[in-house]
Amino acid sequence: MGSATSVDVTPAEMGASGSGEVVIEARNLTKAFTETVIAVQNANFSIPRGSFVSLVGPSGCGKSTILRLVSGLIDKTAGSVAVHGNEVNGPTGEIGMMFQKAVLLEWRTAVENVLLPTEIRGTITNEDKRKAMDYLHLVGLKDFEFSFPRQLSGGMQQRVALARLLQTGADILLLDEPFGALDEFTRERLNVELLRIVDGPEKTTLFVTHNITEAIFLADYVMVMTPRPGQLAKVIRVPFPRPREIEIEVTPEFQQLVAEVREVLGEFITGDDL
Amino acid sequence: MSVEASTRLGTGYTGSLSAALVKHLIIFAVFLTIWEMANRTGIADPLLMPRPTDIVQSIWRIYVTQGNVWLHLWITFQEAMLGCAAGIVIGVSLGVAAVLSDSFRDFLKPYVILIECTPRIAVGPIFVAWMGFGMGSKIALAALVCFFAPFVNTMTGLLGFDEESEELFRSMGATRRQIFWRLMIPTAAPAMGASFKLAVGAAFGGALVAEFISAQNGMGILMARYTMSLNMPSAFAGLLSITLYGFILFRMTEYLDYRALYWRDDDLMAKKSLKRKAKWERTMG
Repeated sequence: MGSATSVDVTPAEMGASGSGEVVIEARNLTKAFTETVIAVQNANFSIPRGSFVSLVGPSGCGKSTILRLVSGLIDKTAGSVAVHGNEVNGPTGEIGMMFQKAVLLEWRTAVENVLLPTEIRGTITNEDKRKAMDYLHLVGLKDFEFSFPRQLSGGMQQRVALARLLQTGADILLLDEPFGALDEFTRERLNVELLRIVDGPEKTTLFVTHNITEAIFLADYVMVMTPRPGQLAKVIRVPFPRPREIEIEVTPEFQQLVAEVREVLGEFITGDDL
Repeated sequence: MSVEASTRLGTGYTGSLSAALVKHLIIFAVFLTIWEMANRTGIADPLLMPRPTDIVQSIWRIYVTQGNVWLHLWITFQEAMLGCAAGIVIGVSLGVAAVLSDSFRDFLKPYVILIECTPRIAVGPIFVAWMGFGMGSKIALAALVCFFAPFVNTMTGLLGFDEESEELFRSMGATRRQIFWRLMIPTAAPAMGASFKLAVGAAFGGALVAEFISAQNGMGILMARYTMSLNMPSAFAGLLSITLYGFILFRMTEYLDYRALYWRDDDLMAKKSLKRKAKWERTMG
């Protein structure tokens, strides 16, 4: 499996702010799809409660694999990964996920889609319904509660997916390039709204992206990943206070962080993908 | 509703239906006139190619004055519908089983190919020999010729969901049962609906062929009798009945399919949206 060195993204590195309680912890986490295709090798990281962590790297570096390992959607090959101190062993329904595609059920209205996680768990009460409505309003979809996915734009579909994510009530959110398929303007706006919504000490967010600017703008910590085999190369703390405005992206401090990430990725940056 | 939407779905229940109808009626009238003239001028043999006017008279006779067609229609209708229902139930069940169990799917594969390579109509005489002149052999052949499309479409349709949808369900802690009913079945619905349309038409053909072979009553045997006694106007009248009948059945299935798959049509979706809203407001007080 090779003997590449691993950069340990330790709680000390990550715990510069926040309560310090670790909610997601990986130790020598490794996933090999075949003997030669190693998606993730010896990943070590600890994510403290209430933090927003971006996982950035070029396409195919294993970012999504890490997300799926944490969620329990796929099994690890070696090492360990724990959520709230319990070793991950299949999905539990206590982690909220969001994907690049909105993956809405097109035969259901927006609010029915939002209610899906509640339905999976058991019966739907009027209280659940009210909550679903509130979340739809929170993500800016008032008057579209009874629209079907095909009647909504791509950005609005992702807003429904975001409301559905909130409806799960999960305190750990795993987002896999959730706005990656949207145009730049919509993506920026949704990023700002995402921060407004998940900001706070109770939600811990792991956000996968291949967009460096986005990764820094959103996060308390940026974990940089390099491919073949997928390894965590560095963790960078993002010191900007919250709430953040999009304008910080043009400050020299921000550009300095971008340069730092680029330096780590170096040879792997091939085009305007990053 | 936009014409674009209706043509995209190929249903066409609205839009410029009347204009199309007029066009078809004109073509039909020209065709019939040529046919009638060919007969009257002796170009076509009136015995084998009866005049349209003679056919109309025959239609009137078998439906009204003699009224003998109704019994046969009813028999064939029952055979086709029961056969179709049986074929769909068998096809869908096998499709579901094949999806739920990989080993069953592998087991089934060679048999499915074998059955698909057998001209199923050719099994007709054997079924008649086994089950006799009554309705049983007709139902069996109808079921045999129509089960395949529902089987294949159910199987491929159920597996047609995208990976991320399944991951979403699993991340929510959904059981296999929940994934099946809430994701796989609705995803498969359009393909299954399309196969039911095919099944209805095929079942009808299957029942008729079995009747041609041997039967006491039914449209197939009625037509066979007319042809053998060279009563060609009545044979054509029977053929027209069967065509019309098949057409009505097909359109009915198509309409049910269109209504059931409301999320594929802008107009229906808009109506459904209002309905769901009203229902929500009722239940939430």
